Amino acid sequence: MSGRAVRWVQATAFRQSERSESGFWQAMQHAHMRGWMGKVLDVDLSAGTIESQALDAEVARLFLGGRGLGTRLLWDLVGPEVEPLSPDNALIFCTGPLTGTAFQTSNRFTVSTKSPLTGTVLDANSGGFWGMRFKRTGYDALIVRGRTDSPRYLEVTPSAAALKDASHLWSKTVPETTAALGQSSRRSVLCIGPPGENLVRFAAIMNDGTRSLGRGGAGAVMGAKNLKAVVVEGEEKPEFADRARFRFVRYEVSKQLTANPLTSQAFPRFGTAVVMNIVNALGALPTRNFQQAQFEEAEEISGEALTDRLLVKNTACWACPIACTRVTKTARKDGEGPEYESLWALGAACGIADLEAVAEASYLCNELGLDTISTGSTIACAMEMAERGTIDSDLRFGRADLLRETIQAIAYRRGLGDELAEGSRRFAQGHGAPEYSMSVKGMEMPAYDPRGMQGQGLLYATSNRGACHMRGNMLGPEVLGLPKLIDRFQVQGKAGMVILHQNAAAAIDSLVLCKFTNMAVAEEYYARALTAVTGIPHSSGDLIRAGERIWNLERLYNLREGFSRADDTLPRRLLEEPVPEGPSKGWVSHLAEMLDEYYRFRGWDENGVPTGRKLEELGLHDLTR
Amino acid sequence: MIDERIFRQFQEIGRDLYVADLVSSHGGNMSVRLGDRLVIKRRGAMLGRLKEGDLVETGLEKPDSGIALASTELVVHRAIYVATPALAVVHAHPRTAIALSLSREEIVPIDNEGSYLLHRVPVVTAEFASGSAELVEKLPRVLQEYKIVMLRGHGCFSIGQTLEEAFQWVSCLEESCQIILAAKAINEPLVEYRKMSEEYRTW
Repeated sequence: MSGRAVRWVQATAFRQSERSESGFWQAMQHAHMRGWMGKVLDVDLSAGTIESQALDAEVARLFLGGRGLGTRLLWDLVGPEVEPLSPDNALIFCTGPLTGTAFQTSNRFTVSTKSPLTGTVLDANSGGFWGMRFKRTGYDALIVRGRTDSPRYLEVTPSAAALKDASHLWSKTVPETTAALGQSSRRSVLCIGPPGENLVRFAAIMNDGTRSLGRGGAGAVMGAKNLKAVVVEGEEKPEFADRARFRFVRYEVSKQLTANPLTSQAFPRFGTAVVMNIVNALGALPTRNFQQAQFEEAEEISGEALTDRLLVKNTACWACPIACTRVTKTARKDGEGPEYESLWALGAACGIADLEAVAEASYLCNELGLDTISTGSTIACAMEMAERGTIDSDLRFGRADLLRETIQAIAYRRGLGDELAEGSRRFAQGHGAPEYSMSVKGMEMPAYDPRGMQGQGLLYATSNRGACHMRGNMLGPEVLGLPKLIDRFQVQGKAGMVILHQNAAAAIDSLVLCKFTNMAVAEEYYARALTAVTGIPHSSGDLIRAGERIWNLERLYNLREGFSRADDTLPRRLLEEPVPEGPSKGWVSHLAEMLDEYYRFRGWDENGVPTGRKLEELGLHDLTR
Repeated sequence: MIDERIFRQFQEIGRDLYVADLVSSHGGNMSVRLGDRLVIKRRGAMLGRLKEGDLVETGLEKPDSGIALASTELVVHRAIYVATPALAVVHAHPRTAIALSLSREEIVPIDNEGSYLLHRVPVVTAEFASGSAELVEKLPRVLQEYKIVMLRGHGCFSIGQTLEEAFQWVSCLEESCQIILAAKAINEPLVEYRKMSEEYRTW
């Protein structure tokens, strides 16, 4: 194996061509691993090799799978000397011990890499079918390293794994590529579109046509490797330690999901956009690049409007009873979505209330393979800079007519789009106005104004992949009252809540499940399901501790990359400019007070460095020696 | 300095615990975790009538002068925070639950709400049932797996993200125990209405 030593992998590597002769070896793996498949597929594009490695059982126990396993692998494979868009960066696709078990939402998977947008550790996760089907090829994870000379795609089937020519697919959109590679009820396609090929720093990787590994630019890493797609087909199912017990836990979870109005009624009926009017009413909906916290036309882009005017039907990812996915249709186009974040980023953030234009912009992002949050927020940043005269452009808040062409320009790096393709931070910095980038560590913030949700601000500032609402969303406790409503303006004590949600999110991302279930289902249910599947006893405390371990390893990764306390911050606007009107009027983020408490609670020193004692406690001390 | 919002939460939940007969005039206690510190009821203060000065802030692991004023159960609260993800702990004396704990190794609710929310509540025995090393050793371990545990003949400890959540488990447990008691008093065969109910004992 080239590059950094992969210490976690057992020394039983064998070439893919030998796979059929390895029945004994496979049996040995399965004998001690239930839930996990016990294998990692390692593809070196530069060398043209495909190898199967054994997954170390202890690593799986400590880091679970998904985001945790991906981070652990990345720690060994991609050091600080590696540029994110160089061949030495790795793309690590991971499933988790619950993936493919038919536990509610057990369809998901993650990709881990070093982000070209932020330079931090990155993982993005997605639903659909690809994760479940990849696991059924017999692997828990896929590592892709190096770079091919010409475009290739990887095909993994029960009989073989092979790299194939993708020259004819290069420059094709996501739907074109997905169809060309034969997406079907048995076969799943994961691919990039032109933005990934053109190294747009917030290019997404798309799977099953419309699902997205959206944030942080993993699509650009894949483009830099000349890898157009990964196609999977498989039937091998994970083993269970106690199937009867699993069925009982699953039944209890189904009761929780049914009893919760968010997961049983609101999401299915209105999609994630159900929160648009709620967040707006509280004065926490960032508007016109966070200049205001209420959008006077939010109703026009709300879940209710989407349902009334564009909804054709709702659908679901594999094994998901919630079915939040929207299939929608405008007068000109149809597609999936938009999600709440996309409606906000391409709508309220840009001062646009034209629902059809926003939906079509979202469809376009999906077809091309772009992260809608970073796309919308970067355009919003440019709109403000244009209005203030910092740049010379026709972009203005409310200019729905320019959305489509601006997105195309970003995807193909044309004109101003070439600059915007670098993300809002690089763009604004390049014009001497970094204060207009509404980002943390270079990642554009999602659809909640931290001035109206104090915990959310701390969450954004400390999120290891940059500003993110999926790293322990405080929407639950601060807005929806899940599990219990807490005062959204409270500062003291908020750090503990944020940390608990961050640790829980890290664990859930590693199982890998959809975090929407966590709106209704407490961690103890996941722990019991994990115990039933793997046979390894897990309490809810163990699960949260695993999340804490993963969070700390991500922190260590970022520290190794040169990040520090100075990066755990928010844009100046949110710290200094009070919300001008509405229910959050007069509030700024009280980040500094919360951050000190946060570090102490984490067991980190005043610079945000985990103490030796904390690392020892989490079993991470060996990594830093 | 304890935030006024946090004091108000103590006042409201404390009052509710007393009014609901879940503690006697000076019984029970509760705490919240703030980073490496915790806020706990002062020893001797009345949960139903908390006033300024009735809350004590002290170190989670490092003792300071706050321990002179804090509740007797401080050591147990501390140990729970260290061992579990809890952000709030409520200790109460729910009467029916205490009565049932005297003869049972576990309390398995038979009502819908209790079955749904609690499934099963373990009962732990300790020779010295207040603030002892034995409790410090036993309770946190159980609370890694369960959100509420009964201490035989003494009361319950419950955990949550907020005081309100921890209070909910206490309130729910006592209601379930009253229903078990009422069903026993009626003394007629029970008609099982729950699918897979035999599994609750293994939760």
